Amino acid sequence: MDAEAMRMLAAGLAIGLGALGPGIGIGILGYGAMQGLARNPEARGPIMTNMILAIAMAEAIAIYALIVAIILAMIA
Amino acid sequence: MAEPKRKGCLGCSFPVLIIVTVVALAIIVMGFLAGPLGKNMIGETEWLNWMTVSPPEPHLPAPVLFHVFGLPITNTIIAGWITVVFLVVISWVVTRRIKIVPGRLQAAFEFLLGWIFDLCNSIAGEENGRKFFPVICTIFLFVLFNAWLSLIPGFGSILFGHHELLRGANTDINTPLAIALVSFVFVEYYGLKTLGIKYLRKFVDVGAFFGSVGKVFKGKAKEGLSGLFSGAVGIFIGGLETLSELIRIVSFTFRLFGNMTAGEILLLIAAFLIPWVLALPFYGLELLVGFVQALIFSGLTLVFVTMAVSPHEGEAH
Repeated sequence: MDAEAMRMLAAGLAIGLGALGPGIGIGILGYGAMQGLARNPEARGPIMTNMILAIAMAEAIAIYALIVAIILAMIA
Repeated sequence: MAEPKRKGCLGCSFPVLIIVTVVALAIIVMGFLAGPLGKNMIGETEWLNWMTVSPPEPHLPAPVLFHVFGLPITNTIIAGWITVVFLVVISWVVTRRIKIVPGRLQAAFEFLLGWIFDLCNSIAGEENGRKFFPVICTIFLFVLFNAWLSLIPGFGSILFGHHELLRGANTDINTPLAIALVSFVFVEYYGLKTLGIKYLRKFVDVGAFFGSVGKVFKGKAKEGLSGLFSGAVGIFIGGLETLSELIRIVSFTFRLFGNMTAGEILLLIAAFLIPWVLALPFYGLELLVGFVQALIFSGLTLVFVTMAVSPHEGEAH
């Protein structure tokens, strides 16, 4: 396997594995928000805001992996 | 349609609507054919070469454009100053003639600032919220308008030499780092100012440990030894607090930098894959991302500073 193929493989693995954790996290967040919404539909506004905030936190971890993947695939 | 008299759909008459739809569909199909996706499936289409966009070549460190008195000026610095000038000018325009009954622009800014002010008050409380509001709001406005201004055409497309003249300031890692350091200093300053020297007890918690050592020597061995253990745990927790305080800077920096950079590269790649078409939905996404990142940066700073000023008397360690 030459260096180029290895680099592309590493980039794919970096973002693929790195997106797993945030994906699970966002799933759990959405589950929690939906349950809260079903129990208390009046609290839609605050639940929505806080859910988006928390999702952005989880998403930031995927972004770290994305940056590594971009560096691997395009720059390094 | 609400008005019964109106003919047509979506605000234009049927012939116009059909022409618009046809043109939009033609652009979508042509863009698909001109991009690398279509070229791989259909084959080479030379007559569409005017539409193709060259593949993006992202470079993470911002390129230096020129030097002013030996100080390197990068394109992100220029964009950052444009954001600052934009904010100053718009504040001047809005506050020049303040009316009791606000005009459209004044109402929009009153709504935005009032919303952030309510956020500060609801998280930090009435008294502290007023104190923290200026810094929180400055961070929010800078990050927000920096992200939104870099979506305007011209950012990244005007070339200066070999590099683009303008690039969103937060795509250079130094700008998020600077804002994160400001936020860190802000949190520590208010913690020290409000709690005094007691604030440092959160980080260096040796009082309980040495108290127990004294008890052991005084002969109360059983009481002293158990105190010794919890004192050691207290010291360890203090170390963890210090570490988490420092890691906050790194995570602040990389969250903002990563989101902004990934957004920019995403737009470039979308424009490359299906020229003229695919970038449009991502522009909407980037508007949302810029807003959410600004909200997260300022909101987290607000939460941390609120945690720093609240006394820890009740806790056992």
